[in-house]
Amino acid sequence: MNIDLLFKIAAIGILVAVLHQVLVRAGREDQAMMTTLAGLVIVLTMVIKEISTLFNTVRTIFGL
Amino acid sequence: MEIVKIIGVGIIALIIIIILKQYKPEFTIYVSIIAGVIILMMVMDQFNAVINLLTSLTNKTGTGSTFLKILLKITGIAILTEFAVSICKDSGESAIASKIDLAGKIIIISISIPIITALLELIINILP
Repeated sequence: MNIDLLFKIAAIGILVAVLHQVLVRAGREDQAMMTTLAGLVIVLTMVIKEISTLFNTVRTIFGL
Repeated sequence: MEIVKIIGVGIIALIIIIILKQYKPEFTIYVSIIAGVIILMMVMDQFNAVINLLTSLTNKTGTGSTFLKILLKITGIAILTEFAVSICKDSGESAIASKIDLAGKIIIISISIPIITALLELIINILP
């Protein structure tokens, strides 16, 4: 449980936003949408991994 | 000193969310979820120590260990539902939040049925 997860998500978010703008300016709207979706999927997998660790810890501690 | 770290995580997450709001508003919900998870994981080992103390105490007395298990389950469920409810409320979905809250309450009541029956039997035995 370290703090750099927060910075990773922030970096991915800003990167995706910048890439989106660049690709839209370059006239490739579909690729822009692809990169946004890719960034979203990456962040989602990280978030889901963290949530599953939290749920497992709570389950083992409280005997759920 | 643990609280200083927790406050630090909260404020860092807040700053990141404010920055992210201009570029990518969808990502703010992920940052708040991850911040919540980090803070909860930090507190979990203190929770573990408290629970071990409680179980050792009840084992000494030897009577209420089943009730303690149920109480621990209820606190676990309460923590998880509160985690989900506050996230849903943050992102504006108060309908889902109230459904999760209702489900949590129903599950807690259904789990605490043995306690209620034991209490009633106790009362019936006491009455002449």
